[in-house]
Parts: sequence; structure tokens; C-alpha cells
Amino acid sequence: MVSLGMQNQRPLFQIQLLGDHAIVFKITTGGRDGIDQQLLAFNAFIENETIKGVKDMILAYDTLTLVYDILIFDANPYLFASQLLEKYIAVSASMQPSKATIRLIEIPVCYDPCLGIDLQDAAKASNCSIEALIQLHSEKVYTVYCLGFLPGFAYMGDVPKAIQLPRHPSPRAKVLAGSVGIAGKQTGIYPMTSPGGWQIIGRTPLKIFEPHSATLTLFKAGDQVKFNPIHLELFHQLNAHEDVD
Amino acid sequence: MSIKLIKKGLSDRIEDLGRYGYQHLGIQPSGPMDYLSAQLANAILDNDLNNPVFELHFPASIFEFEQTMWICISGANFVPVINEKSVALNTPILVHPQDQLRCLQPLEGRTAYIAFKGKLDSSKAWLNSYCSFQTTLNKEDHFTITSDPVVAISFNPFKDHLIQQVQTSLFNEHEIRFIPGPAWNDVDPASIRQLMQADFSIDAKSNRMGFLLEGPSIHLSEPKQYLSSAVTRGTMQLLPNGKIIVLMADHQTIGGYANLGQIILVDLPRLAQLNNHSHFKLSITNVQTAHQLYRAKQSWFKH
Repeated sequence: MVSLGMQNQRPLFQIQLLGDHAIVFKITTGGRDGIDQQLLAFNAFIENETIKGVKDMILAYDTLTLVYDILIFDANPYLFASQLLEKYIAVSASMQPSKATIRLIEIPVCYDPCLGIDLQDAAKASNCSIEALIQLHSEKVYTVYCLGFLPGFAYMGDVPKAIQLPRHPSPRAKVLAGSVGIAGKQTGIYPMTSPGGWQIIGRTPLKIFEPHSATLTLFKAGDQVKFNPIHLELFHQLNAHEDVD
Repeated sequence: MSIKLIKKGLSDRIEDLGRYGYQHLGIQPSGPMDYLSAQLANAILDNDLNNPVFELHFPASIFEFEQTMWICISGANFVPVINEKSVALNTPILVHPQDQLRCLQPLEGRTAYIAFKGKLDSSKAWLNSYCSFQTTLNKEDHFTITSDPVVAISFNPFKDHLIQQVQTSLFNEHEIRFIPGPAWNDVDPASIRQLMQADFSIDAKSNRMGFLLEGPSIHLSEPKQYLSSAVTRGTMQLLPNGKIIVLMADHQTIGGYANLGQIILVDLPRLAQLNNHSHFKLSITNVQTAHQLYRAKQSWFKH
């Protein structure tokens, strides 16, 4: 394991190898849980460097992982990773702290119990009214920590303590696309109808995953997300999902 | 129309060598479980190695051909027959309209591949609305070949040598090597000894997402939570019940279980072809060796 960087507010990274075809940069400074601004800045820096053989760059919480093609990537991965970090640290030291552009995405959510099928039980478990739960969930600006589980599924956090709820002991066979759920500290939206164990408190009429659009998914790691409550009537007007059963 | 599926198999699909560049969006690259056999079947037909192939699992689908074309079957031996006459693996086969291909029994290996001379149209496999790039083959599906499927195919000694090398590497060697991962140092030393000595086999519940290993129960020195981070093909995750799951072609893109290590890419086709009852041992290697081995094997295809 290699650590580089200076202690005085410069980011400190660890390099780990994920076997023979991926390199993990793990940031050890900054927020314990959230996705760190420095990690986003480092991600933006690497995106601008054209690195031969890198097939994927995956941000998640405190790590950035580069997946490479062994046949094209012709370097010692440790050496490559430390040189890349040194370059980044040198560049970022000579500049104003570069801030990656942060997007704020607003998502309309209908918190009607006919869509938020666990809403009533969730309010009960949180010892609050449905209205209070909706307010707590929707007044906060969340950070997308990573995408995974399903294409476009964004893990966002942190959910206010009062309404943090455990997953269902056994997952539901069918959770509809657009359903908004809570699992512990995290909240997320099901991009497609699938089995799922999160507590469903509402549904967005927006499509989260569009296989035929250029961007494919609505979110990326590092985005800020705010949920805006809407009425059932507006939900039906805006509903872009095909499976409204 | 050129190939028609007349009976659906257990879980057959079209795969090319995988689509990268989308994992940050939660979309896995997929690709064949045994990429070496998929490449071999294409190489025998003088195709691009990345051409789409059918991946078959037993019981496999039954296909009917609607035009004359060259095909090649590689990987697992499911005893393929055309019109009830047995056909050879790793050989170009000229099929004719109304010929039917079926597989009789899973004799050796786990996944078989059919390559087609010319390019199989896999446009349907482009990121289907559910989950990934893979497309399951369904009854009544038709598949077309987009270029001439009956042009001459070269037979040369290079190919015989290539076939022998690939077959030996898949079915006559039993080493499964890994590089220790971020959570390796968190594993209890007694568990490490067991892991290095034990005979492992593949649990029947395994699938394209992951192979669940049957073997000793592995424990961390003390309970630890990990923040989710990227996982890839070959990642060995330690499940809370002490079992190891090796992530395969349809793995999720991130994972929060202890990451014990990574089976090296060059050994994954062999792992993918192991039957549930075969035993294997795990051994440690390093990244330089893994790179050398992978490059050496891929150079077999160059001549």
C-alpha cells in the first residue's frame, strides 16, 4: 500500500490493486462517509488525462477505481498510480483548489400511500406522522455516493436519523420503477421494476434509466439531489413509466 | 433470417467480449463466462475475436438453420448433434437449411459457445431495457448473419496448435490463482491457512453473476464494515456466512463485502468451465505474473 500527499489539507490517497486489471485510489482525508470533493477533483483530473487502456472509472464513497485492459495498459500499475497521484498533487498545489462542478438535481416525488406502499408503516416505525416523514425526507439535499445494484441506481445519503429504517427482512418480488426507498442511512430510486428490499415511501414520475438516451442514467456519483413532493394528480400527468399497474 | 431458436434452453444468450465504459453508471460489462473459448470459436472461423457468439448452458437450446453457413462450437462438450449425427468441437461445420442442432449431455465443462462465420447481428443485445447488454435467447427468436457466412475458411497447423493450447489450459490444468485484496489482512490467520489448504468446489447455486465456493468457513479477525467500492470480474467477496463468492461475468459494479482478493483474469475461463463436483485449490500470485500469463495466452491468437 502506498500513501502519497502531504498532511496540510492536501488529500491523502492510498493505492490498492484490485487484482490484475484494476487500480483503486482510496482517499483517507476528508469526510468519513461522504464522497469527498478532493476525490471528485481527482476524478475530473484523470478524465482529462488520456490514459491508454483504461476501460472504466468508478467512483464510490471514498474510492476511485480504474479498470484497465491488460493488453493495452503497458505499465507497472503501482508505479503508474503513484506517478499519476504525484502529478495530480503537483498540479493541484499550483492551482486554486479545483472544484469539480456539482450538479443539483431536483426530483419530483409523489409521497401518496398508494405509491409509497410502506409509507404508513414507515411513519409508525419512526414514531412520526406521514407529513413529518415526508418533510424530513424531502427537505434534505442528498449526495450520490455511488451507482450500482441496478443500472442507474444511485445510493444517496444521509437520511435524517429519525427516519432511518431497516431493509425488509426478505425483499419484495416486485418494486415498481421510480419507487423511492429508504434503507438505513441511504435513500434511492429503483430505475426499473425489480425485486427489492428497501422501504418504499414514494414514487417519481421521472425515468431514472433510459437505455436509448445518450446519458443513459439521470444520476452520477457526486451529484446533489433534492426531492420535491408532488400530488398524485401531477404524478399521473408526468408519469413516464410504462408499467403503471 | 438465418438461425431460428426452436426450443429455449436453460439460460442461453448472445455475448460479445463485453461492453466497458458504463460501470460508473452501475451497468456491468457482461461478456462470455469463458472468453477463451468464445475467442477460439471465432478464431477457427477466421472471425474477429470479439464477434458475438451464442453462450450455451446445459440443457441448451435447439437451433434450426435457415441457410447454408459455417459455424464452430467450442468450450464445454455437451455432445452436440446435427440432425442426430454427432459433430466435432473446435472444427468449422458447414450447416444447411433445416439442419437442427441440439446438445445431448453435459460431458465436460459448463458453458459452450457457437460462433458463426460472418457477423451475428447482436443489435438486440444493445443494453436491453432491463439490465445489461446480454440478451437471453428465446423461443421463435431469429438471428441474422450480416456478412457472407459461406466464404472459404482456412485450415492450417497454427489452428491445431491453438486449439490444443486452449483445451489444455481449460480442461487439463487445475490451478486457480488470486492476488490478495484490500481485506486480506483483516482475515483471521487460521482462516487464511484453511483457505490456502482446502479443496474448494462450486456450489450448485452459482450462476453468471457469481460462483459460490463450497469450502471452509472463512472469518475476519474481528467484525468489520466496509464502504462499498468497485468490484470486477474475479473479485472474491467474503459473505457474512463465511463463504466466498467469486464474481463472474454479470457481477454488480460495486460491493460492500470484505474483498479478499481477485482471481487473475487468465484463470477465470478455467474456473468458468469447472463442474460442480470438480475440486480445486487456491494459490497466491502477483500482478506481474498475472500480466505475463494473460499476455502470453492472448498471443496464442496471433500468427
